[in-house]
Amino acid sequence: MILEMKNIKKHFGDHEVLKDISFNVDKGEVVSIIGPSGSGKSTLLRCATFLETIDGGEIVYMGKHAARTNAQGQAVYVDHKELREFRGYCGLVFQQFNLFPHYDILKNLIDAPIHVQGRSKEEATATAMDLLGKMGIADRANAYPYQLSGGQQQRVAIARALAMKPQILFFDEPTSALDPELTGEVLKVIRQLADEHMTMVVVTHEMPFAKAVSNRVLFMDGGVVVEQGDPHDVFDNPQEERTKQFLRVFER
Amino acid sequence: MTFSTMFSTMAIGMLRSFGVFALTLLGSMPLGMIVALLKKSRFALVRVVVSAYISLIRGTPLMLQLLVWYFGPFYLFGMNIGSWRFPALILGFVLNYAAYFAEIYRGGIESIPVGQYEAAEVLGYNRTQTFMRIILPQVIKRIMPSVTNEVITLVKDTSLAFTLAYQEVFSLAKQISASQTSFMPFLIAGVFYFVANYLVEFVMGRIEKALDYYK
Repeated sequence: MILEMKNIKKHFGDHEVLKDISFNVDKGEVVSIIGPSGSGKSTLLRCATFLETIDGGEIVYMGKHAARTNAQGQAVYVDHKELREFRGYCGLVFQQFNLFPHYDILKNLIDAPIHVQGRSKEEATATAMDLLGKMGIADRANAYPYQLSGGQQQRVAIARALAMKPQILFFDEPTSALDPELTGEVLKVIRQLADEHMTMVVVTHEMPFAKAVSNRVLFMDGGVVVEQGDPHDVFDNPQEERTKQFLRVFER
Repeated sequence: MTFSTMFSTMAIGMLRSFGVFALTLLGSMPLGMIVALLKKSRFALVRVVVSAYISLIRGTPLMLQLLVWYFGPFYLFGMNIGSWRFPALILGFVLNYAAYFAEIYRGGIESIPVGQYEAAEVLGYNRTQTFMRIILPQVIKRIMPSVTNEVITLVKDTSLAFTLAYQEVFSLAKQISASQTSFMPFLIAGVFYFVANYLVEFVMGRIEKALDYYK
């Protein structure tokens, strides 16, 4: 088991965003999270990647607790230093790419491996060029992000996350900021990673993609997991009324 | 007095003006960064003190501040201010410009999208690395036009040193003009300021151009 999230609770002010959510990700598994906006999908990813802190529940990576609930029912995280190790387990691809504009593509990929992980420049560069090759943009290694199309930028962002050699990669609506004709090239890359059994969790609105690529689908609404299971079951034979209602919108 | 004696006397004043200019920049640019970061401190007391300092500096004339720094120690503590003139002058300038630079830096820092911090955090950069490697380089590019403005203002503001009877180019121009009943010293001073600012514009323009490699 790569990741276990148990009874996750999170609220912003009075608004309960995550109400007791539990889910696991196995090694090599691809999990898609679907659901209407405001359902808590992104918040769940941000909690899993430590961008947000949970109020209650447990986060366990590779059998080790990053956060657990104390006797008072509050989530307690491991100390700062240990948390850095946990951050190393997970990568995140943002909707808005968030590449570093002042670094060229290659430096975007090698800066953190060198300065965070202490890897050698030679090794990091070799890994980076390899990844850029896989993403089909090796020839743009010395370009700057603004010179690339959105689809290319997102592929660089995926390569940047992979360059850290994470155990699990999270995607937060990776194609929502892209023109429709650029969506395909990014989905193709994610599909390729799935074929290589990269462990991934993808928040997406691309239903055919979620159905084709994932081993498991979670449908979230109102801060809870309404339904989860095999993508064919969830998409073709949803059990819950709310799931049916949501999926109907995409059938038109 | 011939033109060349006039000019060579004033040249010493120009060097002094430049000294005030250089020391002020050297002190206020780094200090401004510290002030900007303190204004975002976790501790409310620090934020209040820093905000009060910035309000006070921006809300009163620099000329008045220079007088306070120079005469204040005498009136408050009876300090002998014989050799205090130059230190007070630099102190006044540095503390004044640091407040303005701090606000420019703060604006720059706050203009960086939150996604840059989040990307850095997920990649495992610590706070110092995030600031030095990711945020600061982008801030510098964004604030260049405002910094240029501030530096140009400083070139002209050095003339306020005359309030403390410091013999920089403007003080000398006034004295020589009065004693020689000539307008020439003011023209020389004017050319000096203009040429200095022309250089500032040129240098800052080159830096901005060098930072143009990304958007």
